[in-house]
Amino acid sequence: MSRPALVIAALIWLGFAILPALVDDWQLLQLAQFMTYGIFAMSLALIWGQAGLLCFGQAIFFGGGAYAMSLVTMGMIPFVPANTWLGLLAAMALPAIFANLLGRFLFYGKGLRGAHFGIVTLAIAVIAERLAINWEFIGGFNGLMNVPPLNITVIGEPIELIDGLPTYYGVLTLAILVFAILAAILSTPFGLALNALRNNEDRAAFLGYDNARLKLAIFTIAAAVAGLSGALFVAQFAFASPTLLGFGLSTEVLIWTALGGKSLLIAAFLGAVIVRTAENYLSELLGPSWLLGLGALFVFCVIFFPRGLMAELLLRLERALPGGRRRG
Amino acid sequence: MDLILTLGLDALNFSLAIVLVAMGLVIIFGLMNVINMAHGELFLLGAFTLVVVQQAGGGFWLGLFLAPVVVGLVGLLLEELIIRHVYRRFLDTILATWGISIAIKQAVILGFGPASYTVDAPLQFGIDLFGATYPAYRLFIMGVAVLVILLTMFVFFRTRFGLAARGVIANRSMAACLGINTRRLDRATFAFGAALAGLAGAVMAPQMSVDPQMGLGFLIPAFLAILTGGGGLTGTLLGASLVGGIDSTFAKLWSPVLAQVVVFAMAILVIRIFPNGLLARRGR
Repeated sequence: MSRPALVIAALIWLGFAILPALVDDWQLLQLAQFMTYGIFAMSLALIWGQAGLLCFGQAIFFGGGAYAMSLVTMGMIPFVPANTWLGLLAAMALPAIFANLLGRFLFYGKGLRGAHFGIVTLAIAVIAERLAINWEFIGGFNGLMNVPPLNITVIGEPIELIDGLPTYYGVLTLAILVFAILAAILSTPFGLALNALRNNEDRAAFLGYDNARLKLAIFTIAAAVAGLSGALFVAQFAFASPTLLGFGLSTEVLIWTALGGKSLLIAAFLGAVIVRTAENYLSELLGPSWLLGLGALFVFCVIFFPRGLMAELLLRLERALPGGRRRG
Repeated sequence: MDLILTLGLDALNFSLAIVLVAMGLVIIFGLMNVINMAHGELFLLGAFTLVVVQQAGGGFWLGLFLAPVVVGLVGLLLEELIIRHVYRRFLDTILATWGISIAIKQAVILGFGPASYTVDAPLQFGIDLFGATYPAYRLFIMGVAVLVILLTMFVFFRTRFGLAARGVIANRSMAACLGINTRRLDRATFAFGAALAGLAGAVMAPQMSVDPQMGLGFLIPAFLAILTGGGGLTGTLLGASLVGGIDSTFAKLWSPVLAQVVVFAMAILVIRIFPNGLLARRGR
C-alpha cells in the first residue's frame, strides 16, 4: 500500500474506534454485527478484487464457519470442550480445508475460469443450503438456536461479550487484525502475482507463475476469513440457520462488495457496513422497494462505477493527498 | 413396465422444459457473449403475464400468446437501457444481469406479494400411451418445446437474420465490416431470447406454483445443461437430457433433494473434466 492509502485506512479505523462515543449501546450491537459482514466482504474482495475469482458462493464458507462455531461452543462435538477459542479455530479451519479441497479440484488441470467458476460456486452454495436443511444433526431447517456469545476467557474469571461496547471493540479488533494481515499479504510478491493473474491469466502463466497454486492459496485464505466472520456473526446472533450457507447471502455479499469496491479491502468493508446500516433504517420505511432500489443501484454502479462507490471516493482522496500514486 | 414408461416420459418432460429455458440463454450467450443471470426472472415475468391475463378474465391461450410478446418488449428495454453498456466487460455482464434479476424479482413481489399463485391449466385429461395414462398438458409442454427447437433452427439456418447472426457468432468484427448492423442484431437477439424465456414461463406456469422465487429453480439447471453440453443447439439438447434425465430418475426412485445434489455434483464433475462441455465446438 502506498503511504496515502495507509493514512486513509488508519483514519477510517480510527473513526470506527471513536464511534462508540456517538451512538448508544443498541446501535453498537448492530454495528458490531454489520462489521462481521464487513469482514465477510473483505474475504470476497480478496479473491474477487485481487485475484479475479468471481465467487458466487462465498456464503458457503461464512455459513460453514457459523455452523462450526455453533457446534463447538454448544458442546455438540464429542471430546471437544465448548470453548470460544476452539470454536474460532474450527470456524477458520473447516472452511479453509473445504476450500482447499474444492480448489484442488477446480483449479488444477484444465481448470475453471471466469463465469464457469462463478456458476459452479453458485451451484455448490445451493446444494450446501439444501443439505443443511435436510441434515438433522445440525438442526435441519430450524437451524441451531441458543449459540453462546463470545467468551474470551484465557484464565480465571469468565469474560463474555454480551453488551454493546465490549462486543463492538472485540469485533473491531479482529476486523483491524484481519485487514492488517491481508494488507500485509497483498504487499508481498505473492500479492503482486495475484494481481498479475487477475489482469491476464495467460501472461502470468507465461511468465512462469503457477496460477493454480496462487488461486488455491488465496481461495483458502479467503475461506478462512469468511469462516471467521461467520463465527463472529453467529456468536452475536445466537442462531445458525441454513440461510447463512446459501444463495441469498452469497448474493448480498456480492452486492456489498461491488458497491463498496472490490479492489480495496477497506472499501468492501465499508460497503457492507454502510449498506447494512442503510438497510436497517430504510427497509422499514420502504419495505420491499428497498431491495428493488438496491438492485437498481447495483446495476447502475456496475455500469458507471465498476470500481465501486467507496473505492472511487477513496482512490480520488488518495490521489489528492501528497505522495499519492496516479492510477488508471 | 409402467414405472419405466412414466419415468421415461417424466425425464423427457423435464429435459424438454430445461431446453425451453436454456434455448434463450444459449442464443444470447452465443451471439452476444452475455451470460444472462436475469433469465430466470424473465421466465418469471412470462408466468406472471399469464396470471395477470387470467385475472383480467382472458383465457389461457391469450396469456400464452401475450407472454412472449410482453417479455420480449421487456428484453428490448433492458438491452437498450443496461446491457449495451457492458458488452465489452464480460464479468460485468454477469453482475449487471444479476442486479436486473434482483430488481425484477422485487418488483414482482411489490406488485403481487410474495405468495404463490395457481394458474388454470387447459387440457386437464389423461392420454393413454402404451397402456399408461399420462397428463395431456405435459405432452403439450413437450410439443411446445419441440416446436421452439424447430423454430429456432428454422430462424438460424433458413432466414437472412439467422445467416447474419451466424456470421456475427463466427466473427463479429468481420461481420460488421461486411455491412451487418450488429447493433440491431444484438437488440433483436436479446429480445428474441427474452421472448423465449417468457414463453417458457407461461407454458410451465400451470405445472408449478407461480411465485417470485420460481426463476432460480430453472436457471441453475439450465446453466448446468449448457455448460455440460458445451453450448450450441446439440450441446444444449445433450446437456438438458443429461440433467433432466438424471434429476427425474433420482427424484422418482429416491428423493428430490438427493436428485438435485446428484445432478449438481455430476454437472460440476463434467464441467471440471470437460471445461468446454461434452460437445465442444472447436476453435472460434
